[in-house]
Amino acid sequence: MITYRAVHKAFDKPVLRGVTMTVETGEMFALFGPSGTGKSVLLKTTIGLVVPDRGDVEVDGVSMYHGPKRALDAVRRKTGYVFQYAALFDSLNVFDNVAMGIPEDELARLSKRDTARRVWDVLENVNLDPHEVLSKTPSELSGGMKKRVGIARAIVGRPEILLWDEPTTGLDPINTAAIERLIHRLSEELKVTSVLVTHDVEGGLQMCGRVAMLEGGFLRFVGTPSEFRSCSDPVVRAFVDRRAAEAALDAMVETR
Amino acid sequence: MTVERQLADAFTPPSRLTRWFAGWGRAYHVTLDHAGALGVLTWQILVSIVRFRVRYRDVLTQTYVMGIQSLPIVFVTASLAGIVTSQQGGYQIVSTSPRYLLGTLVVQSVVLELGPLLTAIVLVGRIGARITAELGTMAVSEQIDAFKSLGRDPVAMLGAPRVIAGIITMPLLVGFADVIGIAAAMVAANLDGGLGFETFLYGARLFWHNWDLFYGFSKAVVFGFVIPLISVHMGLRTSGGAEGVGLTTTNAVMFMILTLLIMDAMFPPLMLQ
Ligand SMILES: Nc1ncnc2c1ncn2[C@@H]1O[C@H](COP(=O)(O)OP(=O)(O)OP(=O)(O)O)[C@@H](O)[C@H]1O
Ligand SMILES: [Mg+2]
Repeated sequence: MITYRAVHKAFDKPVLRGVTMTVETGEMFALFGPSGTGKSVLLKTTIGLVVPDRGDVEVDGVSMYHGPKRALDAVRRKTGYVFQYAALFDSLNVFDNVAMGIPEDELARLSKRDTARRVWDVLENVNLDPHEVLSKTPSELSGGMKKRVGIARAIVGRPEILLWDEPTTGLDPINTAAIERLIHRLSEELKVTSVLVTHDVEGGLQMCGRVAMLEGGFLRFVGTPSEFRSCSDPVVRAFVDRRAAEAALDAMVETR
Repeated sequence: MTVERQLADAFTPPSRLTRWFAGWGRAYHVTLDHAGALGVLTWQILVSIVRFRVRYRDVLTQTYVMGIQSLPIVFVTASLAGIVTSQQGGYQIVSTSPRYLLGTLVVQSVVLELGPLLTAIVLVGRIGARITAELGTMAVSEQIDAFKSLGRDPVAMLGAPRVIAGIITMPLLVGFADVIGIAAAMVAANLDGGLGFETFLYGARLFWHNWDLFYGFSKAVVFGFVIPLISVHMGLRTSGGAEGVGLTTTNAVMFMILTLLIMDAMFPPLMLQ
């Protein structure tokens, strides 16, 4: 269970102004919101990549920022993070990049063969051809391939929690389907707790049990997909309905 | 409020006095901030060494990059420094003073000052800038965050090997620079003023203290620690994209050179009493 308690974060301007929400164990939770509202920042506060100015995050009841220092390490070890821009290690090839996703102590125990097997399997899971990519460096990959290697690296350690920052943005429909299937399977079969940041609202609504909308530093909406679809809030409407989006855009242009 | 008004407010310049005080305040703040962060980083590196979190292979790679690959440039700088010292010394030593004094002068200058300081400044350009830019690029492309998200410690994995390698290689490079510098000076004195090697070495031995060598190598160890430490520190806190990497690298080079010069100035009162 992940609990965000009044998370505040400001850079030059305030970004998060008191975000409170709970993601249950084994749940698939989607987070929507306009570009630049702080979805990535909120996701990063979960494992201390961004430290909140105020507020706290608890994972399975343990405080990340006001508890023992080791708590953060322990949570990072059982969490996979899919970065919005892949964030591959550009001095390592694909094999080493993915193998880095296996926790250090486990990696030391695994035989070379078993490590290779693990890496090979996750690459197939993200619909990449291991033969083709294993020895390439990130600069030799396309954007969509990088993204999928990033996903492979996040899941190879068999995490209990997965934080997905726009895993399907920039992928073609077939690969999008492959990744969605993977997300779904991880959640169904392995009961992984997932927080999914996405601009693919339809996909998010179909996959997730609950969804939330972040806007202006606050959560504008938290609820089930069907509540989301029937919500009357104009910002939420703009995310479900194309015509509402047009209307919202017109309103923005007029007030400028 | 109109947009024009907001802009005007945002750009109203503060008075000169305010700016003067703000400037000093900021400098003070920034210095304390860096000093504190360097202390914390040193502590983290120590902890990662004690806990055996540093990989031996990474240290070896870094030692190779810093040490072996720096040999050519250190060779060139040291020999030129030796030649120049020998020529200027020869020019200053008037006919009344004994000629073997040139040997004394060159060996003392090289071992106490030129060897350690010149090698360190060469390494700021060759190693310091490189480490800052490398880690800075990793920071702005979220690779450092990726390390953390995978439960790895960037200080143990990236910082510690570079600092350890610096402490190992710097004294070796300084030793190399000393030998090359003195040899070059000897040859130059011989070709220039016909000073024999024997006479040169006689002068060198006459005023030799073993303490001088220890002094020179102490500098080398300190510089070998400080250069990678500052560059790792600056690299890891880089932000602001490609421009940020450029800016941080320039700042890091200035920071390192200033620190080296200040530390160099602190050595004589501390160790040559
Ligand atoms: N390291 C940082 N330094 C300064 N400002 C930052 C930093 N990270 C994020 N911001 C600011 O915080 C705000 C939110 O950024 P964030 O990346 O979380 O947006 P997002 O909701 O993920 O948008 P998108 O959907 O486009 O990915 C932005 O205005 C951004 O400029
Ligand atoms: Mg984002």
